[in-house]
Amino acid sequence: MSEASGSHDLFSSQSSGAESGRLSLPSTSGNGAVPRHDQQQRLSSRPRPPASGEDGEEPEEAGESPRPPESAEGAGDDRSRRIIRNQYRELIYNVQQNREDMLSSKSNRLTEALEEANKLFSGVSCAREAALDAQFLVLASNLGKEKANELRSEMTAFDSLAFAEDLLTFMGINRIEVEENDSDSEGTSGGYLPSNAWHKLGEETEKYFRRAPSFHYMLGSFKSDPPVPRQRIERQKKATGGEEKRAMPAQLKKMEESHQEATEKEVERILGLLQTHFKNDPDTPISFFDLVIDPNSFARTVENIFHVSFIIRDGFARLKLDDDKLPIIEPSKDNVGGEDDRSTGARNQVVISLNHQEWKEIVETYEITEPMISPPHHRNEEEMEIA
Amino acid sequence: MSQRKRSKGSGLSQGGDGDEDFNQSQMPTHSQVQRNLERRSQDQVNQKVSELVQFLLVKDQKKIPIKRADMLKKVIREYRDVYSEIVNRAGKTLQQVFGLQLVEIDTKHHIYILTSDLPRAEGENLHRDNQTAKLGLLLIILSFIFMKGNTAKDGAVWEFLRRLRVQPGERHEVFGDVKKLVTEEFVRQKYLEITPIPLTDPPEFSYQWGPRAAKETSKRDVLRFVAKIQGKDPTFWMSQYNEAEATP
Repeated sequence: MSEASGSHDLFSSQSSGAESGRLSLPSTSGNGAVPRHDQQQRLSSRPRPPASGEDGEEPEEAGESPRPPESAEGAGDDRSRRIIRNQYRELIYNVQQNREDMLSSKSNRLTEALEEANKLFSGVSCAREAALDAQFLVLASNLGKEKANELRSEMTAFDSLAFAEDLLTFMGINRIEVEENDSDSEGTSGGYLPSNAWHKLGEETEKYFRRAPSFHYMLGSFKSDPPVPRQRIERQKKATGGEEKRAMPAQLKKMEESHQEATEKEVERILGLLQTHFKNDPDTPISFFDLVIDPNSFARTVENIFHVSFIIRDGFARLKLDDDKLPIIEPSKDNVGGEDDRSTGARNQVVISLNHQEWKEIVETYEITEPMISPPHHRNEEEMEIA
Repeated sequence: MSQRKRSKGSGLSQGGDGDEDFNQSQMPTHSQVQRNLERRSQDQVNQKVSELVQFLLVKDQKKIPIKRADMLKKVIREYRDVYSEIVNRAGKTLQQVFGLQLVEIDTKHHIYILTSDLPRAEGENLHRDNQTAKLGLLLIILSFIFMKGNTAKDGAVWEFLRRLRVQPGERHEVFGDVKKLVTEEFVRQKYLEITPIPLTDPPEFSYQWGPRAAKETSKRDVLRFVAKIQGKDPTFWMSQYNEAEATP
């Protein structure tokens, strides 16, 4: 009893880990008849195989073949079953990939695939492989149905290529003598379609339709006023839709530039200021705080630091600590020098934190009365004027 | 409370504006309608008929099929008990005055379209818009589908269109987003029916005629078109010819 329940537990835990709807047989079941019975019962009450039509077979299969309980035989059998499953999966994959080929009336490949599956099936003894076989059968029968459909129309050989060519002729194509015949390989004929080609075709086709003409009020109605502007906007959008692709990048560039410009302009301006200072006084480095601090505005101070950081990043200037351990800024010769520094040495990062209180203290300590970096003129955003 | 206002006459419906209200089972029968008609003044009913005619004409502009639920909700409203009479009269008006036919293409969901009763008149189309060109593209697709046995795979259809310089990926100078036009607009207008083929990976679709196409044109006409373009007699394609002759 306990044995039975024990194997039952083993069974259920294994089946919970199995793929949906498929039972994996326990690889070793030392017990004798009892588990086999359980398994057989389970199989017959199993929900479903993946395809229709094979239902009857599986419980039969499970009943017929003896389940090898011993590990040695079990392993060998497992391997061969795995091989069969593999072959089935390969066959299914092949059929799916070569769909077009199988469908062509000239090829016998579908029949060959079916024969191969038939051969494989003779080695099938368990439900899992049979399920794969069923899957293949569904695939093959779908293909067969499609093939039969195609067969019917092929009897009166509608040549779509010729139809396409005749259509183009009707639309008034100008067949230019083209030297390179790459157009043939692309499947389109050479030539130039006039702009009213489709319209011309459309006018002919209208005769074949009994289409109710669209009803529009000639002078419009009161209620249709609001929609009219909407339509215009829509049409404008659609009209520029084609050029949208071109317009959009241009627009985006503009926006980005304007953003960039503001920052870059500032940076350049400050760089100019720096360089002017150094020209006048080549040997004295400027104190960092003298440069960036704006005694009138904390926000502008922070902005200045931001802009100066760009200059340092690009290598036009260097930040150092002087003998008093206070930061100073001095120009570096040119961009190349800056790049070399960057590549040879490690990239240095510095985080400067500055709060309102500290800013005030610095202003007092350094006795900064006016900003070295003059505030830009054209900025119309709110300036925080802090007295 | 709102139910009271809505359902005068024969006891109808439980809900408000939901579609479930307009189930076949809850619509008045013919005899009920006749009885209800007597309760209403002719003028009122005729007024509703005119409104419905205008509604249908405007709704048909985009060629999107009209649902009965819309008609009931927007126009007929409290005259629902004589609904069928109103629709019939509207249909007659459309036919006699405009030469248009009100056709129910889906009897289960009650969807209607307007088609023309009269053959297309000769002469240039005065209303210059994209509709003509789209119709050309549509007829080409319909012909392809028909000549290939009433159903075609999407791969085959687009391959065929490619030869006419129409690519799904590119923006066409006349049609714009062709893929959208074919797979969405034509389908919504019920000209085409696109159904996925089961068990295909990547998913493939099969293209067939939609109900509107069946009503607005015929296999015979389409075969005539193909024959004209190719300069052959329709009987050149025997099986298609037989099929076309067999279908009314």
